[in-house]
Amino acid sequence: MLATQLKYDLLMFTREIFYMVFTIIVPPVTYLFMGQLFGDATYAGNLSYAETYTPSFILLITFGVVFFAFGFDQVMNRTTSVEKRIILSPVPKRTLLLSNILRSIIITSLGYFLVFFIGMIAYDLSFEPTNFILAFGTFMIFNAALLIISSAIYSLFTSLNGALVFSIVIFQVVMFTGGFTMPIAMMPKFVQIIADFNPLYHMNQLFITVWNGQLEWNSATFISIGYIVIITAISLLVLRFGNSLRKSSFKWYPTNRNRGGDVRNESFTGH
Amino acid sequence: MEIVRVSNLQKVYGENKVLRGIDFTANAGEVIGVIGKNGAGKSTFLEILMTLKPYDEGNVLLFDKELRTLSTNQLEHVRKDISAVLQPTQFYKTLKVVELLKLFKAYYKSPVDIEQIVSDFKLQPHRKKYFDKLSGGWKQIVSLAIAFLSEPKMLILDEPTTGLDPHMRNMLWTYITDYNKRTGGTVILTTHNMDEVEMYCDKVMLLNDGVNEIFDSTEGILSTGFKSINEFYLSKVSI
Repeated sequence: MLATQLKYDLLMFTREIFYMVFTIIVPPVTYLFMGQLFGDATYAGNLSYAETYTPSFILLITFGVVFFAFGFDQVMNRTTSVEKRIILSPVPKRTLLLSNILRSIIITSLGYFLVFFIGMIAYDLSFEPTNFILAFGTFMIFNAALLIISSAIYSLFTSLNGALVFSIVIFQVVMFTGGFTMPIAMMPKFVQIIADFNPLYHMNQLFITVWNGQLEWNSATFISIGYIVIITAISLLVLRFGNSLRKSSFKWYPTNRNRGGDVRNESFTGH
Repeated sequence: MEIVRVSNLQKVYGENKVLRGIDFTANAGEVIGVIGKNGAGKSTFLEILMTLKPYDEGNVLLFDKELRTLSTNQLEHVRKDISAVLQPTQFYKTLKVVELLKLFKAYYKSPVDIEQIVSDFKLQPHRKKYFDKLSGGWKQIVSLAIAFLSEPKMLILDEPTTGLDPHMRNMLWTYITDYNKRTGGTVILTTHNMDEVEMYCDKVMLLNDGVNEIFDSTEGILSTGFKSINEFYLSKVSI
């Protein structure tokens, strides 16, 4: 059943133009376009454009996939009653969750190799096996953290329009304050302040250093790791207590009662 | 054989007591219409039977199992015998009709042949259409086809014919009654169309202010002097 669910989950992703444009098309095109403009520049750590922005755009694709195809999709299914019909069927919930996670991993990994391939062809990006393996491992950890953060954020939405506006706005905010367009140091002061609160900025900085074998265990690294861990932990708490926050979502039996809780305390669909 | 037994069912949304002590039974092979004005609690009642909503007081026995006592796995097992057409009818919008049938066949581990279902429900011209692109009537037919994939013991229909033209309505009812005769499955539905209740339902439950004011056979209601179920409804339910 997992294989069938995954097959259709992947098929649905490829048929959503909105997801495809924002995840698989826009980031690589931007990567190429920016390379034409700033390809000869040298960046922090004496890195070339490709060494700095290849990991950045891989992360941007990951963000796009996880937030649109995983998070936004959840809201769409919830608000259109698709989720209700699926819950009514006897498919195990872990199958649905696992399929969603696998879908995200497959698509983001494709994005990873796509940008890496473009970097090798267009900007003579070198392949260093040890760095590549370390970077892919880091990428998977970030993938997991983003899945949790995305799930927590989108669990709070009860309206499709609200989720859509949020998705478009957050994409722009992440693009500019995550260090995906220009180095943050060259941005206005207020952008630099916002960047400090953007977990994608911290992930980006860490990913660039791991990608290029320049990771140093200094205070900046610990601050970035600590901030990502804290945001992920808060997201887990939001998911854990999400039932009481999502007033308009529906509940199903009987997990609370099995744990000794009382189903009377559960919220309702507002139907 | 008893399929559903509900006693003193109560459901509260905040300050709003939607169900105030419903008693209800459904036996195998019965077609039961649940009627009442908008906001009477019909959908809430059906969603409790569908195992989608918890309840505050009372007992709900589905296939001799009290819902509250079931584990998640046991609940998933019970759901194999339940199917439904929800209001509104929605499925993954970017899947085609035949893909949806295949996906739900996998969910229910159904032995039913997809081509047979396509043929039975005259879905051949629509099999490669996206669900989202179908008319309201064909969405309902596809939803019913998906519901029948699992050969359910209990079929729950929430206003299945709302918005359908007479031909589509007739087609939908033909499928429902055929299913009921062929499998002996129980059908519980809500509708605002009293003619349909009179024509197709064995029993009628009138929900009024969260209470089942009447729960009787259609013949029983008509034998009390009402010319039609519509007249019965209008006399019992105020605006």
